[in-house]
Amino acid sequence: MPIKDTRFSDEKGKVLMLGNEAVVRGCLEAGVSYASQYPGTPTSDIGEYFHQILRENPEAKEYLVHHWAVNEAVATSACAGAAWTGCRSLNPMKHVGLNVASDALSVIALNGPNPGAMVILVGADPGSLGSHQEQNERFYTWMLHLPCFEPHTPQECKDFTKLAFELSEKYDTVFEVRTSTRSAHSRGYVELGPIKRGKAKGEFIRNIPKFNSLPPHAINNHVRLYERIEKIREIILELGVNKIIPGENKIGIITSGMPFGYTMEALDQLGLDDVPVLKLGMIYPLNYEEISNFLNSLEKVIIIEELEPFLEVKVSEIAHHNKLNVQMIGQEYFPKYNEYSTGLIATSLAKIFDKTPSEQMTNAIEYFNSYKEIVPARFPTFCAGCPERATLYSILKATNQLENTVICGDIGCYVMSFFPPQECSDLVICMSGGISAAIGMSTKSDQKIVAMIGDSTFFHTGMAPLAEAVGYNSNVLLIIFENSWTAMTGHQDDVLRYLINRGFSIENICKALGVPWLRIEDSYNPKKLTKSIEEALQEKGLKVIILKRECGLQAHRWRMSQIRDLEAQGQKVQEITYYISGCQVCHECSRILSCPAIRRTEIDGRETMQIDEDRCIRCGVCYQICPNGAIHKSVIHALATEVPFREI
Amino acid sequence: MKFKETDIINVVIAGTAGQGVISLKRLIEFAAQKAGVDIILGAEQHGLAQREGAIISHTRYQKKATDDPKKNLNSSLICYGDADLYICIEPVESLRRGIFASNKTTFVLNERTIPPILITADLDQYPSLEKIKEILKGYTEEVYTMNATELSLKEFNRNQQVNIIMLGFAIPTGKIPFIDIKHYEEVIKEWLRDPDDNIRALHLGIEKGNKIIKKN
Ligand SMILES: Cc1ncc(C[n+]2csc(CCOP(=O)(O)OP(=O)(O)O)c2C)c(N)n1
Ligand code: SF4
Ligand code: SF4
Repeated sequence: MPIKDTRFSDEKGKVLMLGNEAVVRGCLEAGVSYASQYPGTPTSDIGEYFHQILRENPEAKEYLVHHWAVNEAVATSACAGAAWTGCRSLNPMKHVGLNVASDALSVIALNGPNPGAMVILVGADPGSLGSHQEQNERFYTWMLHLPCFEPHTPQECKDFTKLAFELSEKYDTVFEVRTSTRSAHSRGYVELGPIKRGKAKGEFIRNIPKFNSLPPHAINNHVRLYERIEKIREIILELGVNKIIPGENKIGIITSGMPFGYTMEALDQLGLDDVPVLKLGMIYPLNYEEISNFLNSLEKVIIIEELEPFLEVKVSEIAHHNKLNVQMIGQEYFPKYNEYSTGLIATSLAKIFDKTPSEQMTNAIEYFNSYKEIVPARFPTFCAGCPERATLYSILKATNQLENTVICGDIGCYVMSFFPPQECSDLVICMSGGISAAIGMSTKSDQKIVAMIGDSTFFHTGMAPLAEAVGYNSNVLLIIFENSWTAMTGHQDDVLRYLINRGFSIENICKALGVPWLRIEDSYNPKKLTKSIEEALQEKGLKVIILKRECGLQAHRWRMSQIRDLEAQGQKVQEITYYISGCQVCHECSRILSCPAIRRTEIDGRETMQIDEDRCIRCGVCYQICPNGAIHKSVIHALATEVPFREI
Repeated sequence: MKFKETDIINVVIAGTAGQGVISLKRLIEFAAQKAGVDIILGAEQHGLAQREGAIISHTRYQKKATDDPKKNLNSSLICYGDADLYICIEPVESLRRGIFASNKTTFVLNERTIPPILITADLDQYPSLEKIKEILKGYTEEVYTMNATELSLKEFNRNQQVNIIMLGFAIPTGKIPFIDIKHYEEVIKEWLRDPDDNIRALHLGIEKGNKIIKKN
């Protein structure tokens, strides 16, 4: 919904914002002038807000730059580059993005971001709500010495981001702000502060020891990094980011971020009004004195944190060093996987404190469990008319339903391939993990090995394994979805678009790399594509099929806007519809293609498939594959202007 | 039920991608701001949003904050059993997200189903509307349904107004207290496309709600 926007303007007062919007607001108030990121849930919308700002206030372009990078490692080094000219840079990424960025970051953290400042914004994802895995990437903050704030509310998202920039510059240290899928996308009030214009220009000043962390400077920079961290450790109390909710109970709680909110509500539910809680706004480093003082008044402490025990290890370390006689309890009640909730924490605390959780809650869980089996699954699936789904249809046909075939999947919309009814993906690792796994697998297995990859992933890390597959002439069929978008994360207007506008071509790259067997096909021509896949699988060595077909969702949006424009100009436009009559319910379209615009229904007491006109994008694939000729095409105003999908 | 100003109000909105779940959540939150609500905190689901998936959002607010931080709204997610109201734009989604409901909950449901793809493929079963209602009645008698999709198609010739109609339908339950109709109208005028249609949709929903909800 278009919002009359006070979030990013110079107005004063209190505004409702999402955590991510508040992060961007914090950047504006801190005078950030460069941001670079590769998209990934839950951080993709941060870049979209920057783009909105640049679109709506063209004068901001004089000093503010946002880049959609090709991958996280590039983005991180790019942010360092900007900081080293004296500017403030923001580097958002999802939790797994940090794995990719960590190589660069390990050095940048040593060198330090001065004369500018640099903050990485990591979107964690406990519960894997928008990711292919969960991990506790907080250990990186310790390993690379990244002082890290963990906000709970949108207000804290803004305040901590702003503070992180001040401190990053003051202490020549890369700071991290760690949100999560939940805190990034929770909305609450944010008190606005004044906006500060970022630096338009900077200059790099040579400093060989600082910027070349190789021997002999590597160790010195490491020593310097420790010094900086110790200074930061000393000032944590002054920052006022940690807070104590006092209480007399001898059992206390240490927590941070989203679990703090769940904990407070759980304590209230259990009537545990006297339990002291230490909420850490900064989770690395910890202030020894602050933690010791809190532990000193306690006999037992419970650490409430999602995923692997990070705070538990760090707090234990302090308790051990200071020989504190405090027992750490409750670990067995807090799972080390999945996200937490008020319900989970209330249930666990009830056990620890020997209380009874509210009847309202236990009844709710019990009743829900009594019927949940009858709820039909509704997993995410490809859009109506998606070319990737149509391609899976051809793969299933060409391989006789995957007979003796392995599909090495990858990360993009096609990550959804494994869901029923198509179940057309055998494994997923990480971006470009599919083609990479296929290289090794093909040396050992005689099965037909098919790998899939999208164009954004191809750029991210896919070209390197393709070069290797060419080098070893791996016996693999690689299917490249050139849909011209980074679709999965929401069609960012990213570097892919700039490349496409400059004539970028995966075909040329494949030719330049020397791919021995190469075809360009169209997912919307399923019979021809099926034949091509069959032929490819009869060949030995590396085969590549590039599917040049725009993402169905974007293609449909574009086509509809063309039609609207033409009609507004008074032009008549061809009206195409697909409809079903004479359906034999053979399930070719619903189980092998499974387009969601097709539904099963009853007409005059007879079962039949039916096409939802308002969801069908007119790709025509079902019409071509129906073995009974029951799907028909009708064209009204056949002589009027035809508006086909655009070429990419 | 009469709410106190210090009560925490919990609204679950459930539906499928593209049904306007998140827009509806924002509309309520921004209207709550207009109504001078002290604390608003709600969680929405981003990513994967366009791909036919199940969508839920949590809207939470507290008209007056108390001096005791432990008694205030602290989390953007509703606790199991604690929802006051469910607005379900797709019927079976009420059950999928049922864990937040209890005997204090009121349900409003749109009757139009969106069958998941495995239903079309005849590999899974979609419970009947009667069955869904029967299960919900196990929580509470306050289960109200209407066909908002049909009404939207009839009145506006498109299904875009379904979420706003459902909001209107929910208002007479009294489970979104301290927010006046004028606050919704102001928000709709300020930011929604086709404000006149949306205000009319809101009132169509309210009218329908007034009829059904009074009758029970
Ligand atoms: C290291 C890493 N960074 C970011 C992501 C988030 N992510 C998942 S899919 C995807 C986009 C893939 O785009 P493309 O390969 O073009 O496939 P499409 O979605 O367009 O089909 C991104 C950025 C991730 N999973 N891992
Ligand atoms: S967004 Fe595009 S690529 Fe992704 S499922 Fe939809 S049509 Fe397919
Ligand atoms: S033409 Fe057929 S396959 Fe394509 S979107 Fe419409 S119903 Fe789906």
